[in-house]
Amino acid sequence: MKHLPKHLRPRWRYLGVGIETWPGASIGRRDFQRAIWYAAGNLLGDPGSADADLSVLSFTHDEAAGEGEAVVRVRRGHVSPARAAIACIATIEDEQVGVSVRGVSGTVRACEERYMGRAGRPAEQRHVAFEGADRPAVVRGDAVDVSAESGHVGATRLDLE
Amino acid sequence: MYEAVHAHPAGESTVARLAATAARLGYSGLVIRTRSASNGTDLAAVGDEYGIDVVAGAEIDAADPSAASGSVGNFRPDFTVLSVRGGSNALNRFAVESDRVDVLSAPMADRGDVNHVLVKAAVDHGVAIEFDLGPVLRSTGGRRVQALSDLRKLREIVDHYDAPYVVSATAASHLELRAPRELRAVGEVIGFDADAIDEGLHAWKRIADRNRHRLSESFVEPGVRRGRYADVECSDGDAGIEDDDAEIRDDDGIGDDDGIGDDDGTADLGPEVGE
Repeated sequence: MKHLPKHLRPRWRYLGVGIETWPGASIGRRDFQRAIWYAAGNLLGDPGSADADLSVLSFTHDEAAGEGEAVVRVRRGHVSPARAAIACIATIEDEQVGVSVRGVSGTVRACEERYMGRAGRPAEQRHVAFEGADRPAVVRGDAVDVSAESGHVGATRLDLE
Repeated sequence: MYEAVHAHPAGESTVARLAATAARLGYSGLVIRTRSASNGTDLAAVGDEYGIDVVAGAEIDAADPSAASGSVGNFRPDFTVLSVRGGSNALNRFAVESDRVDVLSAPMADRGDVNHVLVKAAVDHGVAIEFDLGPVLRSTGGRRVQALSDLRKLREIVDHYDAPYVVSATAASHLELRAPRELRAVGEVIGFDADAIDEGLHAWKRIADRNRHRLSESFVEPGVRRGRYADVECSDGDAGIEDDDAEIRDDDGIGDDDGIGDDDGTADLGPEVGE
């Protein structure tokens, strides 16, 4: 089909989204896209979800480090509901996730230049002294994700003995 | 803006990790609800490291009012922010009628309920009622619908009596924290004014500032401070004059026996703390 004249094409905004998980959680682009659709559908309803028209353009997630980022496209004028929908993503494929919108741009390129590329600090697997015991942990910059008996514990270098 | 969180061991992240994440998300302060974490961590060091104000708090999760009452007496002198987890009608009533309690948290959880009588009591005793956005952010289906309708009911009553309130996502790990802008956006979708959410996040700071002032050594009772008049003027510098106004306002608190929490509502404390 012939594409629309420029003044009739939808205008978009691009959200730079930071994603954080426990190390070892594996999340794919499709999982993230589905989570966004469900979150938008549940919070905004079908009409609101269709208005915001959220779609994931680029997605990376480092399983070992538990860190990722994505560019999410949203229709101009619906950034606030989109932000709300994204904030309501608590789990993806039963893995806990923390999401935050780092910023909003008018073009994909600006979004990538400004808000992408913060992930990818090398993660290092080693044993740390935490609460009087030697435990395996994933160290990523200042953040330390410790594996304890009860599950993961999020800590920082300040907590290590 | 401040947020209040459960920290390890009650939650899954340590105070330091929560503080680092909160600072990155744009919060200027963090209230710790977990008593052992407040006690067992050097909060000032964590705050300095990540550039965020970490406030020692305790949340009392008791089975009944008499147990809660004992805990309030024990913990009040040591913690800046004291909240009581509501849920049952008896606990909700106890919390809003206690001058020494700062916040009634999660009043609608576990089939708890709030009515006009409790909210009026909260106004009289200066107890802030918490809007818990956690279930909206993290639950689905029927539970979430229930949480939303509870929030709406609570909002209508709190609005009507202009009661003090706080807003929180009640995060128990750094993954559950959400930025203030995100909370504002969620609030708008579920029917809050954007300003109401901001106000609720600021309220934590006001409570913390007020109680720090009251727990400080120079504080005797509302309107009375220890120290020589000249000292006070010198140390406060230009702010001295404004401070005097605040002290005069505080005088309506006289007649209550304890110094803490017996204010006429957090909303009226503007001049004392400034923002």
